[in-house]
Amino acid sequence: MKTKLLALFFLTLSLASHGQTLIKGQVTDENGQALPGVNVLIKGTSRGAVTDVKGEYTLSDAPADAVLIVSFIGYVTQEISVAGKSVVDAKLAPDVKSLEEVVVIGYGTTTVKELTGSVSSVSGNKLTSLNTVRVDQALQGQAAGVQISTASGSPGGALNIRIRGLSTNGDNNPLVLVDGVPYSTDGLNALNPSDIESINVLKDGTAGIYGVRAANGVIIITTKQGKRNSKPSIEFSGYYGSQQTTKKLDLLNAHQYAVLKNEAYAAGGQAPPFANVDLGKGTDWQNEVFQKAPIMNYNLNMNGGSDKSTYSIGGSYMNQEGIVGGDKASYRRYNARINFTTDIAPRLTLQNVLLYTNERRRTLPENGIASVLYNTTNASPAATVRNPDGTYTYLEEFSDIINPLAQMANTYNQTGVNKLVGKEELTYKINDNFELSARLGYNYANVSTKTFSPLVYYGSGKAQNTATNPALVPDSITLYSKEVDSVRSNGQWTKVTASYKIPRLNSVTETEQTFFNYNAEAFLNYNKTFNDIHHVKATLGISYFGDQGKSLSATAFNIPYNSNDFADISAADGTNLLNNTTSYQYRSRLQSYFFRGEYGYKGKYMLSALVRRDASSNFGKNNRFGYFPAVSGAWVLSEESFFQSDLFQFVKVRASYGVAGNDKIGNFRYRALLGGEGVYPFNNQLVNGVAIGTLGNQDLKWETTHQTNVGIDFSLFNGKLDITTDYYIKKTKDLLFQPDISAIAGAYGAGGSPPWINAGDVKNNGFELLINYNDKIGEDFRFNIGYNLTTIHNEVTALPDGVQFIEGGAFGVGGTRPTRMQVGYPIGYFYGYKTDGVYQTTQEVTERGVAQENAQPGDLRFVDQDKSGDINFSNNSDKTKIGSPIPDMIMGLNLGLNFKGFDVSGTLYVSLGNDILRNYERDQPLANLLAYRLNRWTGPGSTNTDPRLFTSSTQTNRNNVISDYFVEDGSFARIKNVQLGYTLPAAISRKIGANKLRIYVAANNLATFTKYRGYDPDLSAQFDPNNASGSTLSSGIDYGFYPQAKTFMAGLNLNF
Amino acid sequence: MKKFIRISFGVVVASFMAISCDDYVDIDPQYAQDADNYFLSPADYDKALTGAYDLMQTSYLDMWIGEIASDNSIAGGESVTDSEGLHQIDNMTHGGVNNELRSLFRWMYAGITRVNYIFENKDKLEFEGKTRILAEASFLRGYYYFELVKFFGDVPLVLDRRLSASEISSQPRTPASDVYAQIVKDLQFAADNLGWTTSTKGRITKGAALSLMGKAYLYQNKFAEAAQTLDEVIDEGPYALSTDFSTLFRVASEGNSETVFDIEYVGIEGGGYGCFVCLEGFAAVGFHSIRGYKGPIYADGNSYNLPTQDLVDEFEPNDPRLATSILDIEAFKAAQLPVKVEYTVGGGGHTGFYNNKYLKRADELGANDNDLTSPVNHRVIRFADVLLMAAEAHNRKSSADDTKALTYLNRVRTRVSVDMPPVNVTGSALTQAIYHERRVELAGEGIHFFDLVRTGRAADQIAGFKVGKNEVFPIPQAEIDLARARWLQNTGY
Repeated sequence: MKTKLLALFFLTLSLASHGQTLIKGQVTDENGQALPGVNVLIKGTSRGAVTDVKGEYTLSDAPADAVLIVSFIGYVTQEISVAGKSVVDAKLAPDVKSLEEVVVIGYGTTTVKELTGSVSSVSGNKLTSLNTVRVDQALQGQAAGVQISTASGSPGGALNIRIRGLSTNGDNNPLVLVDGVPYSTDGLNALNPSDIESINVLKDGTAGIYGVRAANGVIIITTKQGKRNSKPSIEFSGYYGSQQTTKKLDLLNAHQYAVLKNEAYAAGGQAPPFANVDLGKGTDWQNEVFQKAPIMNYNLNMNGGSDKSTYSIGGSYMNQEGIVGGDKASYRRYNARINFTTDIAPRLTLQNVLLYTNERRRTLPENGIASVLYNTTNASPAATVRNPDGTYTYLEEFSDIINPLAQMANTYNQTGVNKLVGKEELTYKINDNFELSARLGYNYANVSTKTFSPLVYYGSGKAQNTATNPALVPDSITLYSKEVDSVRSNGQWTKVTASYKIPRLNSVTETEQTFFNYNAEAFLNYNKTFNDIHHVKATLGISYFGDQGKSLSATAFNIPYNSNDFADISAADGTNLLNNTTSYQYRSRLQSYFFRGEYGYKGKYMLSALVRRDASSNFGKNNRFGYFPAVSGAWVLSEESFFQSDLFQFVKVRASYGVAGNDKIGNFRYRALLGGEGVYPFNNQLVNGVAIGTLGNQDLKWETTHQTNVGIDFSLFNGKLDITTDYYIKKTKDLLFQPDISAIAGAYGAGGSPPWINAGDVKNNGFELLINYNDKIGEDFRFNIGYNLTTIHNEVTALPDGVQFIEGGAFGVGGTRPTRMQVGYPIGYFYGYKTDGVYQTTQEVTERGVAQENAQPGDLRFVDQDKSGDINFSNNSDKTKIGSPIPDMIMGLNLGLNFKGFDVSGTLYVSLGNDILRNYERDQPLANLLAYRLNRWTGPGSTNTDPRLFTSSTQTNRNNVISDYFVEDGSFARIKNVQLGYTLPAAISRKIGANKLRIYVAANNLATFTKYRGYDPDLSAQFDPNNASGSTLSSGIDYGFYPQAKTFMAGLNLNF
Repeated sequence: MKKFIRISFGVVVASFMAISCDDYVDIDPQYAQDADNYFLSPADYDKALTGAYDLMQTSYLDMWIGEIASDNSIAGGESVTDSEGLHQIDNMTHGGVNNELRSLFRWMYAGITRVNYIFENKDKLEFEGKTRILAEASFLRGYYYFELVKFFGDVPLVLDRRLSASEISSQPRTPASDVYAQIVKDLQFAADNLGWTTSTKGRITKGAALSLMGKAYLYQNKFAEAAQTLDEVIDEGPYALSTDFSTLFRVASEGNSETVFDIEYVGIEGGGYGCFVCLEGFAAVGFHSIRGYKGPIYADGNSYNLPTQDLVDEFEPNDPRLATSILDIEAFKAAQLPVKVEYTVGGGGHTGFYNNKYLKRADELGANDNDLTSPVNHRVIRFADVLLMAAEAHNRKSSADDTKALTYLNRVRTRVSVDMPPVNVTGSALTQAIYHERRVELAGEGIHFFDLVRTGRAADQIAGFKVGKNEVFPIPQAEIDLARARWLQNTGY
């Protein structure tokens, strides 16, 4: 409305004025779509106009020889000579990577040209177009130096974000800020990718403006805002898709299975289990378990603004069912968002951001011995899914493999999240140079989890049974058993044991967790250019951050009818003695001051220095606060007069060095605990005392990262080709450990343990390359290619004195710990035996010169690492490095083509050099096998790769010990997204009242190229059964991973 | 209005800046009691004291080594590599790497630290009965340091506070004499503030404190002080020798008139080999017991700490204490006929004898695994020991009182149920008689090695014992390394 009035005003003005020209025109984008809100300015004056919703403008009072400057954010500014015309149309080309593009650097912004640090920027449009459920999924392959890997492919499953390698055996998560509000990486599910305007990843030392939370990098997410003086623009986007598994394992069919199992039993001198091997194909359990599952997502956004305010309002719905489990493993999300800014007084602006999310996630057991997929891949193909009467079969030939369909039918896990994130920010523009901001951000999440465990019987002896028989008679549990007294009967004293048993009925566990954090920040920005050559910027601020959470959990027994419909504590038997409750709470606080000064000389030399002082409640009293400095500088070579090049338009050399911290070291770990056991008998009764447990350490402090970064940026061919390169060395010191301590500290009473100390260093270094090429062929064919590459070299450089290594992960059942953190090796490298083939003959076994216990022809030949003449299986003397989960190199390739109304895009992600430890095969006599076992050793000369099949109740060979036989190359290339879209001509879309209508078909995870035999090579640190506090040391172990889905979808984007 | 907004905005920002010190982050965990917010009620002190008592239960190892290191017994057990450290001590080949010695070193300091934790906070609260708690705590610290100084000689003396990790490297080894001075001081405080008797079985008494103090004097060859201290126990204490030596070590006799200082055990809680420091039963009993035993009276065990023929031969003919102290398995087996007795021999050695004072009895089993949960108390100081220590002190002090020494000695020898003929010698003959009496009376109680060492007889009696070296055990090498305080290893190791 405003613009129309403005146009009218100019129109009236022009009519009144004599001898001046009236100019009209339309501004469109490269596809011919109208661009509203574009500034059209008469060069050399302050007069101009803004295009209306149809992209049209009217200018009066323009000299016939005027030059119009047509500019719009995100598009290349054009200068057009009027040359006497009265209609001047403009077609703006998108400015893909303008040197003036804004880069967010924390408490302020800079431009690509002036940037001195290393920041990866990704636009929200790019992320949205990839149609991923989570923001971080979309980020994979988009930014150099940012490695995204999947912890679970199930709907709502988590991802791991690693910026420039793994810095610690503790928490490697970066700091994520959404509009300045800290956001948990675990909770990133809640963020709707469509709400995002841009993502900036601070990778180098300049992230130190966030001090003690910046060591793992900082991800700054900005949500969409409206524009001033723009009419409401409404966007609708939606897609519907069908998902299926990216892969099924190549398993044995029933016939192959029977033949191989007979062979294995015979080798061990046991009776073959299958008299008849003509079993046909049998049951394909994967076909039974995997299904096609729908996914859908709908977004509605409205943006606009007046001259004093802007608004951006959005809502979305997304629903994804699982390719395993369907609704039993599903994810549903509602988002609502308001971003509203208004001038509440001259020069005083209030910004209000509110993001609300409601999520519901249902899960099945994943990863490991009890998971659905583990049961699926190991179940016998000779068994049927159901009995003739329709009930599920028991798979009685196994003690610990249950019918996966029965398991899915009886699993009820649901988590609901209500999350509210927001901020109120006041910005006061004191004058042209000073701007003062104060903001209050908050992040509140309520997480409700409900798990129903019905009485269920999976077959005799199964660990997952909650009932003792098919009639669902519950197990009983001894509540109390104690020798109470002696009684005299028949002249003899005998002791009497009193006990009380009750049945363990079905149960429901409900957990309510509340997380709340807030930050209150104020900062002053200064920005002034002196004499057109000295550009000075400064930022001074203060920040308070508080984080707290609590949890209340209760379990109640005896749900009516053994039915999930009644699975609520209110419906349970309130007097059941097994009912119980637990709770916990935590809190931590951070108080910070920060300063950054920036100086630029003639746009040639840039220097920036910053320091942050953080005080945290997580640190010991002797190290309550720390200073985190960083310096960075840049030299724009291309601005020098001696620089003469037709090829290069822009060349800049950057360097930075900074210190940052990682405060995610656990709350109050510096304090001494009272967890010790102090029990002593007085009067022959045990009396419980209190004793010191884990010792305190008032010197405990953050982990510290020192990072050096050098980079060169190039822009060639008139801005068509942009290249950014970076090399970094990142040294993290003071990692947390609990090594042995001197006895005189008193840590070794019952329940005691040594204090946490800072000792241990890790180094990451690598090279990053980002190339963007944009060009057009003819008028209508445009294309862009984006390529990024990241190399990672990770090495542990120090551990505490006396600590040789730290073990992690799990392999097999009962727990060899297969990974290590050790000086000179990457974090979490795989540690085990090397093999050099398969013994072919008895002669080879005896004459090899190396004794290997129980070895027979057909068994794996292990390498005698210590040259001791025998393979030692009882200690580590013959074990060595057999792989590393950390890739040597990751790459992303993004392609986009536009031709007339058509657009095609594709994203490829490549990971090279990462190893995966295969740990989803169950070593049980009758467990099914992968088809590669068909190539087993069957006699001299048959193969030198895969050992013989063998099973025996009395003997054992060593083919199943942790060795490189179980380590596979996990390198892969994955087509993450391909998309074909068509934008209807404006004339047609107008007919339905729309400015733009685009329809598309797309596929995610269309193809994966890998030698890896498991479901999905894109897997990362998951849980660590031996280390609840950290999962870093279980990276790259495939416990039976829920694969990511391949999705085919169709969607549309509609703008009004 | 606009001005008002601007001003209030300025106020908000200014108040931000005003909270300039770090009070904001000075918060404590909520609803959680940890070591820094404890000692808020008298009960807290009592509980911490119980925690400090707990480490005494690791004494099975102290007792065990006191026997194995001497000529009284061999290590025994399943094989020579099972508990290898004990076999090395048996053979006098032990060095700085020895798991058993390291455990002992760690556990005693854990006990000391739990006591020091109480003293660190002793002024936090005033209440009736605090002195009694501090007195018992003092005794415990005295006991733990006595074990350390007896085993290792000079040890770091840490008092009245917990050490931080950064302070460890500045803790030197304190000369043994200074450690002894502190022990005496702690025990004196305990003796001054505790009564001769207690209504709670297991609590430390004045008699225990004075007796341990007398023992500490004796170990320093301070005979006059030892005599004086022990006389006080004998003259003023409520103690009398038991009238039935044969049942003295049974559960039923616990807390009888001869009990001066027992470490308490009960069998009501189970335990496993994974955590010896967690046990509530006396692990020595299960370890000592007869391997693969099937038969009446006794129960199956692990055949460690097996008495030698040399010890058997020390007993005078007809001394009834032999049968109570040492089980001759073959004789026992023959005596049980026609009831069949079976047992096996461990690879760690066999002498035919078992430490009968601390053997698992079928009617004294603890909860499972009953190898480790015997309810039998460890008799650390019996009144007989007090009498013999006093006899020795009077005999060996500069102005010897052999009459008194002889009286004490014969009180032990001629007691009801032992009834050995009195001796009547003086001077060094009396010294030898006392030494003999100590060996037989206290056989199997973990005292003999230290008796041999402090009286200078170890080299004569123990094969492989090197004078100037084996009087003390080596400081565990790992502890020297971890402390990084430039401790010198004990001479010869």
